[in-house]
Amino acid sequence: CGPHYRGRQNSLPSPDTRLHVFTLDYPHVQVPFEITLWILLASLAKIGFHLYHKLPSVVPESCLLILVGLLLGGIIFGAEEKSPPAMKSDVFFLYLLPPIVLDAGYFMPTRLFFENFGTIMLYAVVGTLWNAIGIGVSLFGICQIQVFGLTDITLLQCLLFGSLISAVDPVAVLAVFENIHVNEQLYILVFGESLLNDAVTVVLYNLFKSFCQMRTIETIDVFAGIANFFVVGIGGVLIGILLGFVAAFTTRFTHKIRVIEPLFVFLYSYLSYITAEMFHLSGIMAITACAMTMNKYVEENVSQKSFTTIKYFMKMLSSVSETLIFIFMGVSTVGKNHEWNWAFVCFTLLFCLIWRALGVFVLTQIINMFRTIPLTFKDQFIIAYGGLRGAICFSLVFLLPAAVFPRKKLFITSVIVVIFFTVFIQGITIRPLVEFLDVKRSNKKQPAVSEEIYNRFFDHVKAGIEDVCGHWGHNYWRDKFIKFDKKYIRRLLIRENQPKSSIVSLYKKLEIKHAIEMAESGMISTVPSLASLTDYRELKVKVKPLSSAEMENMRDILTKNLYQIRQRTLSYNRHSLAADASEKQAKEILIRRRHSLRESVRKSYSLSRERPAAANTTRYLSLPKNTKLPERLRIRKKAAFRGKGNDSSDSDIDAATTVLNLKPRPGNKMRDPKQKQRKPQQQFRMEWRNEVDRDCDGKGDHREAANQALTSSGFRQPLLSRPRFGTLSEEDLTKDDGSMRPMPPPRLGRQASEKGYSAGESKPT
Amino acid sequence: FLSLFLLLVTSEQIEHLHRRFKQLSGDQPTIRKEHFDNIPDLEFNPIRSKIVHAFFDKRNLRQESDGLADEINFEDFLTIMSYFRPIEMNMDEEQLDHFRKEKLKFLFHMYDSDHDGKITLQEYRNVVEELLSGNPHLEKESARSIADGAMMEAASICVGQMEPDQVYEGITFEDFLKIWQGIDIETKMHVRFLNMETIAQCH
Repeated sequence: CGPHYRGRQNSLPSPDTRLHVFTLDYPHVQVPFEITLWILLASLAKIGFHLYHKLPSVVPESCLLILVGLLLGGIIFGAEEKSPPAMKSDVFFLYLLPPIVLDAGYFMPTRLFFENFGTIMLYAVVGTLWNAIGIGVSLFGICQIQVFGLTDITLLQCLLFGSLISAVDPVAVLAVFENIHVNEQLYILVFGESLLNDAVTVVLYNLFKSFCQMRTIETIDVFAGIANFFVVGIGGVLIGILLGFVAAFTTRFTHKIRVIEPLFVFLYSYLSYITAEMFHLSGIMAITACAMTMNKYVEENVSQKSFTTIKYFMKMLSSVSETLIFIFMGVSTVGKNHEWNWAFVCFTLLFCLIWRALGVFVLTQIINMFRTIPLTFKDQFIIAYGGLRGAICFSLVFLLPAAVFPRKKLFITSVIVVIFFTVFIQGITIRPLVEFLDVKRSNKKQPAVSEEIYNRFFDHVKAGIEDVCGHWGHNYWRDKFIKFDKKYIRRLLIRENQPKSSIVSLYKKLEIKHAIEMAESGMISTVPSLASLTDYRELKVKVKPLSSAEMENMRDILTKNLYQIRQRTLSYNRHSLAADASEKQAKEILIRRRHSLRESVRKSYSLSRERPAAANTTRYLSLPKNTKLPERLRIRKKAAFRGKGNDSSDSDIDAATTVLNLKPRPGNKMRDPKQKQRKPQQQFRMEWRNEVDRDCDGKGDHREAANQALTSSGFRQPLLSRPRFGTLSEEDLTKDDGSMRPMPPPRLGRQASEKGYSAGESKPT
Repeated sequence: FLSLFLLLVTSEQIEHLHRRFKQLSGDQPTIRKEHFDNIPDLEFNPIRSKIVHAFFDKRNLRQESDGLADEINFEDFLTIMSYFRPIEMNMDEEQLDHFRKEKLKFLFHMYDSDHDGKITLQEYRNVVEELLSGNPHLEKESARSIADGAMMEAASICVGQMEPDQVYEGITFEDFLKIWQGIDIETKMHVRFLNMETIAQCH
């Protein structure tokens, strides 16, 4: 949106003017003011859509935003009788596009991407070429027909038009596929294609543009064009990877100034984009490569908070960009930039659809010969149908030099029609079509630790077998790369010189994330810091080595106790009156607090654009559906491990449990005279001891066994809401206790554990 | 069974495997475990021992008895390799299902080292520890807790809601099938060269 001046000069005050009490100086702040207003408008529009909850699922947001833009454009047009500010291509390419691509590249599932790399490259390169040339040539054929009045459009111009309109747009694809949740493979194919075809688009566009402006075209120029393609693509990727490594290297030294860590991520990626643009290489590929490289290494170097910041900020930026892009498209449509020609426009649309379908179909036949999982007809349909055009071709068409293209307005109109058609019609109908065709939907599974394990195990098996039969398969290269990576690259780029296993990091990360969420929601005071996490290593409490019989026993206990799946509802055992009232009530408060905390976390935790990998860590352990206290479970489980063999405990427990400032329970509370019946209450007590007495590793067995039993997967009904906590008093509690009591689970393996205690445990007191 | 395998594999592939077998065994008719030490790349594989054991596991060799064989001949070698053949386009549902089960059974046997038909906590931990054994700095407890967490997940998937009295002994083969339900193992679990040559065979 260009500034348009209202011409308020700063004239010299004439002798007659008085001092103004109140002045309005709009030109001074015009540009930032307008920008802020636009962004605000875009965000408000987004809020508006989600108010009616059914709307975004039927109509993709992109359509709604375009409509808003149209409306706005219409208003401006009506008010000022001239074309509203069209989106400047510079603004689009330099400011609005990079955040979106960065976001997509950073969260791209790399494993899947590389598995399907061949397919994606084929679609991107060959498919785009096919589309471009096909559309160009057939349009030229149409133009030759005298009736339509298009004979002044040359072949080169048609080819140029074809090349810019065949570009599948990542922004539009993302916006639409967001809603429909196809399986990851399909998503990767279409999305990867939309990213990679940028190289082809850039090359073709520049090639044909220069051809249009050149007098004669030699064969050497064609070859130069082909060479240019390789330079553009590979050069972009190299720049991205290089800067990605530099970024990772930089973050290796930032542990003293964690606050600016996120900045490096953004700066380096943006730098890669504009550097590539400077050399007329593919900026999109550069920033994608940079993001994918950074992703691997930077995550390990930055602190948890920085990582969260990076994630959120990236999402925010890309969301804003996307919104702005669509609104601008709407606004820019209105105006006097158009020339309508039925034939050209309709045939353009027709050819786009036909050539895309043909291209996908033919290419898939070729690809299926090399794939183990052939792409079915349904997959092909989705890929073809999901080839949406969007803002990239929109901007490219505005960039056409009007001198060389006398019919520029015609082009603009047809591009707009195609974009609107794909975004609206295809965008809206793709969802019912997907459902109709019953595409394999993605099962939105959280990344469970066990999945990592299985995948890793499987990879190794495959590699091993391939080694045995002496063949170099996929996995050979993958293993080689990982080895090389571990030995050299990680040493260089990652701060601690310990190559961390990905399973462990994933596990720890999930733990930390969950803990942070709990803390963030406000109830628990401290946030675990990374420093405390490393302390546990020093906590190894060496106790006398147990005999093998004891070990066996403990293992037995564990085996029996560990897998007892928690009940959904705690059954209250009325015999458990061992704990005194205040203790019980305090416990109750804690339990209820945590429960309501969880409720509120769950409700408020809805980042709409969260990719599966990052979201929903609250359900890290995929316990039965109504499990309401996963975190307790984990804490308990962790506590269990403390006891085993008296080894030191997993640090994350301490981190997760944080500081509950309760009176520390002395050990003898446990030694309840009525120990025969292991009362549920005692479990709770033990739980607390767990959290408070970090050093009592010796007592591990008790806790571990007790806590194992602590199923407590949920209360029957949601407990007190948060605000009420402040006013909870003793009387209320006792009263409430009667009505809705959380029911501790009956402790079963108790008997076994008791045996275990007598076997190997020295009871204090 | 060998004939069934032969139906799906060309003679070229068998030739190749036979050559490899001879190379590994040093021209002997049978291979022993020590012969696998000659494969340099296998050394870096963290679950090396499990893979080698898999070759000698009598359950995989479809023999009635249990335990580990001392040595295997070429036919046994082919039997093991047959677990890694790719799916054919023209397989029907039942065949695919059987195929998948076979492959999963192979994996299951790798986890279940004591041959009792269940993957107990200890075995699972063993697996995880082996997987993470490449990292000397890793605490054993971390590996353990990870294994335990995974087992709990498995339990929840397989058994869902358990009675308070129930104890989860370990992952049985049915449970294992359930866990892998979402993952299309039959397409992933194949050795590529067997695939490529079948293509050559097609034309």
